[in-house]
Amino acid sequence: MSKIKHFYKNLYRRLFQLDDRLLLIIAGSIAGICSGLAAVALRLSLESVLEILHPFRHYGWAFILPAVGALLSSFYLEKIAREGAGHGVPEVIYSVSRYGGILRFRSSYSRLISSFLTIGSGGSAGPEAPVVMSGSAIGSNIAKFLGLNDRQRITLVGCGTAGAIASIFNAPIAGMVFAIEVILGEWKFVNIIPIAIAAVAGAQVSHAIIPDQVIFNHLPFQVGGADILPSLGLAVVAAMVSVLFTKVLRQTGKIAKKSSLPFWARAIIGGSTVGIIGMFMPVVLAEGYHSIQSMISGTFSMGMFFVFLAVFAKIFATAMTLGWGGSGGIFAPCLVIGSLTGVLFHKMLIILVPSFGCASEGAYALLGMTGLVSGVMQAPLTGIFLIVEITGGYETILPLIVVSSISSTMSHYIEPASFYFKELIERGQFLRPGTDARILSDLNIRELIETGFVKVSENMVFRKFIELLKTSDQNFFPVIEDGTQEYKGVIQISTIRKFALDPGMYDMVFLNQIMDTNVLTASLENDLQEVLDMMDINHMDSMPVVENNRFVGMISKTRILDLYRRELIMQTSDH
Amino acid sequence: MELSVFDLSKQLGVAQDTIERWVRQGKLPVIKKGRNYRFDAKELKKWASNHNIKLNFYDKKNMPQKERLSVIPLSVAVQNGGVYFDIQGHDVNSALQSSIEKISMIPDDFKSDLLDRLIEREKALSTGIGNGIAIPHPREQLNYLKNPLVSVCFLDNPVDYKALDNKSVSVLFFILCPDLKMHLHLLSALSFCLRDHKFIEFLKSGPDYAGLIEKIEIIQKTNPI
Repeated sequence: MSKIKHFYKNLYRRLFQLDDRLLLIIAGSIAGICSGLAAVALRLSLESVLEILHPFRHYGWAFILPAVGALLSSFYLEKIAREGAGHGVPEVIYSVSRYGGILRFRSSYSRLISSFLTIGSGGSAGPEAPVVMSGSAIGSNIAKFLGLNDRQRITLVGCGTAGAIASIFNAPIAGMVFAIEVILGEWKFVNIIPIAIAAVAGAQVSHAIIPDQVIFNHLPFQVGGADILPSLGLAVVAAMVSVLFTKVLRQTGKIAKKSSLPFWARAIIGGSTVGIIGMFMPVVLAEGYHSIQSMISGTFSMGMFFVFLAVFAKIFATAMTLGWGGSGGIFAPCLVIGSLTGVLFHKMLIILVPSFGCASEGAYALLGMTGLVSGVMQAPLTGIFLIVEITGGYETILPLIVVSSISSTMSHYIEPASFYFKELIERGQFLRPGTDARILSDLNIRELIETGFVKVSENMVFRKFIELLKTSDQNFFPVIEDGTQEYKGVIQISTIRKFALDPGMYDMVFLNQIMDTNVLTASLENDLQEVLDMMDINHMDSMPVVENNRFVGMISKTRILDLYRRELIMQTSDH
Repeated sequence: MELSVFDLSKQLGVAQDTIERWVRQGKLPVIKKGRNYRFDAKELKKWASNHNIKLNFYDKKNMPQKERLSVIPLSVAVQNGGVYFDIQGHDVNSALQSSIEKISMIPDDFKSDLLDRLIEREKALSTGIGNGIAIPHPREQLNYLKNPLVSVCFLDNPVDYKALDNKSVSVLFFILCPDLKMHLHLLSALSFCLRDHKFIEFLKSGPDYAGLIEKIEIIQKTNPI
């Protein structure tokens, strides 16, 4: 009996504790299924509420619908869920890089509800970021339930994200690539397999519940070699539009934050602005999957001038929705703006070169989407794979890659940080694995401190100190006060050398006469970055650490280098 | 072998906080026993080599041994080397030669070689440190010796040793060591004794073996190294 028990224990250890691949695959597929379900739920409820509200759209008062939605959404987030507005992706990225992917359970549904209210009422935003937030929170909480460590939790957060994106677009590879490229930021062998499985699971869930995918059903496209040249032009236009979109989004958000209006007033203003635009141009409303669908299939009926206006209207409407209190993501607006850009470009191309044998308007809508996704998120692979999966074939891959790479490179040149990362970089929270900032954020003074130093009294005679020096290998001697044991200063061998070689001084001075009292000290709470900066500016190699006037230990560059290297090895090795 | 967080932190030379953080972040393979973390040394090593991670275990065998040779006090070295009286000689070379011949601890085969080395050393710079005392020693260490020796030789006639203070020398302290560290230690201990004027007067009075050892032991106590 005990043998069986031993065997079981050993097996358990080997399968789950020492090598967690199997565990991660199982837990990852559960996370994928759950987040897939969440995504499908949001999609179905959005579809039905948009259908219910559709008959009211032509009434004059309909412009307040987005305002009511935004109001309810911001009220829900502010008062009930108590979570910040915005799309949530930067928060997920930050949590992954700093806290090992810990997310609140509440996050797994709060964004779904708020974005349902925003988008359902007509606000211009995407449901993808909320489902990403929800999927990653589901993954994180599954990890918490199983008592997993940070690395495993991060993988499960990636699984949840992949499942959500895969489910909402019915595109497993795009889900997987998005999770790795944008959320995790590192391609590790151990991450890829569970995330791939989760993505497939999410896509299967969506396929099983909605067998007849309304959006982005596979369409054949005839894209020839002649389209390469125009796609270069489209890429440049898409990059410009991406940069414009990012800038407008950020500026609008800043204006809203500067205004001293209460959150509900902001939501009403933002919502009604969107509603008024929507009265004249319904294409800007909601997540816009239907417009995308009609643009891809070539049944989009707007004229060139209106399409031109619609690009800016959609940009502005999205900025007003997200910046002024609504909740949702930028993925779907990107796709809408991208397809509008593509359609616009195609229309212009036809007018300029009427006899040019280029592909259909739908194909250009797809290329435009890739351009926008690559440009705004600076995630070229996500852009390519999403469109490849939507079109269901590799015929378009060459122009796709051209558009994607040019657009992401150009917008990267103008705006070095993507929309998702910009916020994090500004807050100093952009900590990708294996970077200096990440390592420094992990190491703290408490781990680096060297202790066990012999302390000396400030009233010690120098001769006694010289005797002590003979048997010691310390280079620094903290000097403390006799009674209170408080830190007074430090004696560095390098600075007392000339006294130490002069026996005449031995009986003449006390330690408090030769100690350094103005040496900068660090405390245990200091950030390693601050301490290193202090050492650099003052050309120090070591620094005493003093806490509550008590000497705790020394921190030295030698020790920092040693541990920094180990940390780097631990972080960057694939495991 | 099972290791605790403390053991591992000692072996890797990092703080316990670091080990715990690595476990939390999932960077080390761990065996959880209730609330405690345990590590299997073999598994860890295998894991580290599989993932090309250098953990840098401090092996007990490879630990740099700080104090491998126990420091022998001067008095013991003098007991090893012996004290010799009535040494003949009219100049540096002959005094050294007759001393070497008397010192029994030096193997006979090496005596002439040692003499050459000592004379060479004296030519480079006299070892007469003043007050009638010299400490002849070779520059290279003598690895055929088992133990460090300090042999004290009292000369019959004071010899002109080209000492710093031009006083003729009547006492020779031979320092013969298998190892440089030991040599420096004995040299330092000896020079501490010879700084003491009372000790020099005591030497001049022609002490006996037991008295000399006793005196050195007393001075040694005031200067522990």
